[in-house]
Amino acid sequence: MASPPHKSENFDPVELAVFKSAFHSIAEEMGAALRRSSFSPNIKERRDYSTALFDGAGCLVAMGEGMPVHLGSMPMSVRAVLDALTLERGDVAMLNDPYSGGTHLPDITMVMPVHLRGRAQPAFYVANRAHHADVGGAFAGSMGPAREIYQEGFRVPPVKVVRRETIQRDILTLLLHNVRTPQEREGDLTAQIGTCRIGARRLESLAARYGFDRVARNMAALLDYSERLMRVELSRWPEGEFTAKDFLDDDGITGRPVEIRARISLDPHRASARVDFSGSAPQAQGCVNAVYAITCSAVHYVFLCLLPAEAPRNAGLMRPVQVIAPLGTVVNARPPAAVAGGNVETSQRIVDVVLRALAQAAPERIPAASSGTMNNLAVGGTDFRTGRPFAYYETVAGGMGARPGLDGISGIHTHMTNSRNTPVEALEYAVPIRVRRYSLRPGSGGAGKFRGGDGIIREMEFLSPAELSVLADRRRFRPYGLAGGAPGAPGRTQVLFKDTWRELPGKCNLQVEPGTILRIETPGGGGWGKRDLSSRNRRRQGR
Amino acid sequence: MRIAIDTGGTFTDCVFEREGQLCALKVCSTPRDPTQSILSVLRSIGASKQSLLRHGTTVGTNTLLERNGARVALVSTEGFEDVIAIGRQARPSLYDWFDGPLPPLVPEKLRFRIRERIASSGEILRRPGARELRRLAGLLRASKAEAVAVCLLFSFANPANERAVETALHGLGLPLSVSHRLLPEFREYERASNCAVNAYLAPIMGSYLARLETAARKEIPGARVSVMQSSGGIIAARAAAQEPVRTILSGPAGGVVGACDVARRAGIERIITFDMGGTSTDVALVDGVGSGPVTTRESEVAGMPVAVPMLSIHTVGAGGGSLARFDAGGALEVGPESAGADPGPICYGHGVTPTVTDANLLLGRIGPECFLEGGLKLDAVRTRDYFDENRGLMTDFKALAAGIVRVVEASMERGMRVVSMERGFDPRDFTLVAFGGSGPLHACALAASLRIPRVLIPRLPGALSALGILISDAVRDYSRTVMVLPGSAEIVRAFLELTRRGARDMRREGLTAIAVRSVDVRYAGQGYEIEVPWTKDYVSRFHRAHRGRYGYADEQWPIEVVNARVRMIARAEPLRLRRRPLHPGDGRTAIVGKRPVFFHRAFERVPVYDRARLQPGARIAGPAVIAEYSATTVVPPGCIARVDEWANLAINIVAKPLSARH
Repeated sequence: MASPPHKSENFDPVELAVFKSAFHSIAEEMGAALRRSSFSPNIKERRDYSTALFDGAGCLVAMGEGMPVHLGSMPMSVRAVLDALTLERGDVAMLNDPYSGGTHLPDITMVMPVHLRGRAQPAFYVANRAHHADVGGAFAGSMGPAREIYQEGFRVPPVKVVRRETIQRDILTLLLHNVRTPQEREGDLTAQIGTCRIGARRLESLAARYGFDRVARNMAALLDYSERLMRVELSRWPEGEFTAKDFLDDDGITGRPVEIRARISLDPHRASARVDFSGSAPQAQGCVNAVYAITCSAVHYVFLCLLPAEAPRNAGLMRPVQVIAPLGTVVNARPPAAVAGGNVETSQRIVDVVLRALAQAAPERIPAASSGTMNNLAVGGTDFRTGRPFAYYETVAGGMGARPGLDGISGIHTHMTNSRNTPVEALEYAVPIRVRRYSLRPGSGGAGKFRGGDGIIREMEFLSPAELSVLADRRRFRPYGLAGGAPGAPGRTQVLFKDTWRELPGKCNLQVEPGTILRIETPGGGGWGKRDLSSRNRRRQGR
Repeated sequence: MRIAIDTGGTFTDCVFEREGQLCALKVCSTPRDPTQSILSVLRSIGASKQSLLRHGTTVGTNTLLERNGARVALVSTEGFEDVIAIGRQARPSLYDWFDGPLPPLVPEKLRFRIRERIASSGEILRRPGARELRRLAGLLRASKAEAVAVCLLFSFANPANERAVETALHGLGLPLSVSHRLLPEFREYERASNCAVNAYLAPIMGSYLARLETAARKEIPGARVSVMQSSGGIIAARAAAQEPVRTILSGPAGGVVGACDVARRAGIERIITFDMGGTSTDVALVDGVGSGPVTTRESEVAGMPVAVPMLSIHTVGAGGGSLARFDAGGALEVGPESAGADPGPICYGHGVTPTVTDANLLLGRIGPECFLEGGLKLDAVRTRDYFDENRGLMTDFKALAAGIVRVVEASMERGMRVVSMERGFDPRDFTLVAFGGSGPLHACALAASLRIPRVLIPRLPGALSALGILISDAVRDYSRTVMVLPGSAEIVRAFLELTRRGARDMRREGLTAIAVRSVDVRYAGQGYEIEVPWTKDYVSRFHRAHRGRYGYADEQWPIEVVNARVRMIARAEPLRLRRRPLHPGDGRTAIVGKRPVFFHRAFERVPVYDRARLQPGARIAGPAVIAEYSATTVVPPGCIARVDEWANLAINIVAKPLSARH
């Protein structure tokens, strides 16, 4: 239930500011610890992780600058752990099952309780989630065009990986026996456990300083504060129903487009909103299914972007926003649907649809569609230099949609992801791949009064025999323009082997010989506004 | 004779030691040619032969902030020309569609490629061809670039190809910034950015420092000029001219070093430094002055990564000279534009736009007569006229003046939040060390807003940055990537080579230095290292440090030594300051008059003290104004100022009740 606005008027504005920053900085410090102590390029360089703090009831209090796609889904991990296990002092729970608190299998989440002296129940929780380069399954890198979740990797419901400060070797070994690169996984998982400890330690010292009651009171006050911010924003929007739809190209198996529909009801009088995805396609045969947590994340993300930049990201924000997604659809899948691409591709399309609907309500505030795909690439094989197995995962940025008043930015990750690139100098050291080109893709941004950002061209040569999986979209349905702007150029994927270029489908899996070159061209962003003489003569802003 | 000169946007401050006495001098800056003000300082203090001249400069920072550096061409490995534009493909703010990075320093048409490639192992896969190198030189010449940056893939592993390009481009006669020389470390975007920033600054800093050195030598035969680095250490001017990227925070670093020295003597461990000058304000947090301020190799300046060591300093684009105006919506804005030294604030006699300094004058917070001990007379009548003319919808000049002070203090407060609360530090645990020409005017009000319990105003607050520069050690950093297992002989060889090089460089500067050795260690496969001192037990130190920072350690896991680092330090002679006995008193004898000063809502007549006449031990209850040569301290009602045994003003702050906050 949504709580009424302005319920806790008795807060101290300075104290609120101090605690808001203290919580956020603990989440950020956990992120820094994970980045600096982890092993795989996807975590240490690309920062494909999130860190967060929760109150004693499991409500999100603060989240670090991680992946927006984890915004709504981290709380569900904590919920799932609390439902399944009783956590004691020094325990750490682990999970990756999308159907009990996870997102897709490569994302492994750790949750740790923070116990304070003299209190039997955990006072707070800390959690972190990181995307692992491989969690087993049919496809190297665990990001392939699967048909059911059993092919996507090793599935872990909430279990205790640490009991009373002792790592449970049996659990860890069970997991490590089911993945392609156990050594790297062990390192990353240990770093995740260490990161939990860092967060817990910092919360303990905060409570030691101010006392539990004061910390807890300020956590509650912050949730109310966020709710107030969201309600003030929603009260300014026009009343009405706004609908939109868009498509994923295909699900990787059937070749048929996958439709996503949203109907947004805005009620400024009650300062609330409802986003209803009824009418979206039934869950797909391929891996583009999103679990409910992801659909929530996408909606949360969009509404959060409407607020001032410094608004705290916590559970209070979403109290006034209701998300309806019928079970058994592509936006709320049931087991055993495959979900690897739901987190990375469908989540982006949900954002596109919600934005398209909101653009009808306030055209001057909503950007045109951004590239709308994360262009996922997973690679696995045996490194000829060491004779050891390797697994590698990355996503490639595209063009940002043009904004009312501003061109879109070129070569940048948008919306549900913000993962960095792997520096070429880190990548080639870690895996038998040589990057041949990493450049902008001129002309791929949609034309308009303001132009969409350009996508990227990335070329890689494989030095060992390897298995590749590509999960990409917007090869057919292009990123839309708004207010008369043109759509961005679609993406494409090609391989070159023995002097022949071959076009690949958006979602595929293949074996390649050494010397094969993969070329990914990512979509540009849509344009905004009709192109006129002045915009034709204007030079592109930015990059 | 040791002389330190810190050139800011508005004033040039000088501190020097004469016969064991510390003296200070402040003159207006000459932004069009900063050497002019420096020369006039040298003349008026009568610098002796062979003097050591140490310099803090804002030329680098301002060039980056104002984006008016050189036209830089960047040479990259073919296929990677856009890396400087793409960066790490991430956006600066996650939840704001309208925020975006600034355009890269190198626009598309100045990005050049060369066909070459080094592998991660250091193996040369392809050498740049002679013909292509000639063609590249031709293209660069035609591009009208003023400086060239060269950053090729894996040049830290094998610099051969970068050297070949360097050699081919020597004939252009342009300053070359070559990535493996500036920063032989992996991550191509960060290295390229660091390199491009260096190139962007090189022509301007190079000619400035050369001019300064020549002029100084003409004035003082045998003078040796050195420059403060962002890391808080001094290097020779010639070295700084080649690596200007190291001097971006030159002046502000002096302030932090100076503040730490003052706090250390006063027995204070945790400080927030607040250095408010004429053009900008620098804020830093030091959590433990005993161990010194923290340096980072992951800074961002004006949106660009800079990977050389820098003190963590946050800059706010407002100071005493900041211009106030009403924006389109009618809101009062202060800064970032500044009146600078020319035309200066209205009260200096030439400016016509209200500034923070003018507001402080009209509110009685600074007096017309005692500014720079009467060396500069402030014109209150002129100021009032212009305020009346520019007051917009405000009722009168006083309302405008009070509004300007409130607005500028709000932006200072935001800056302090960035370094404290936003990093999880509670300001209540810190002492605010306030300095710069304008810091002492605003320090108590800011401390009250942030509930900082204590403010320390050092002696010579206007010249503390210069003092910090005077007492900084001469420091040069050397590193080499070794990437070996512990126990490898390679580490020892690297240290031998680095120390030999360091000792030679320092000898050339006429310095006797000690070498401090450290190694960067990580578990094999990690991407970040922990720097530990090079001792017998460095491996166990690493495990311990890792457990403390990251919550785990495993002594069974293989570790690797990534970099060997040598820091050559030539210790500066410490200042011989005298601790003076405390004589309890109320400072009455130092009162030089009374004047109306605006607090909260009304003017009150308050005593004005001459700081030079205050004895250690004196206790002054606010409201009061304490004036001195280069600054004025405002002590609001309820606050108590004490003069400590080092002649600092230590002020206890009473927190404003919440209802009285602006």
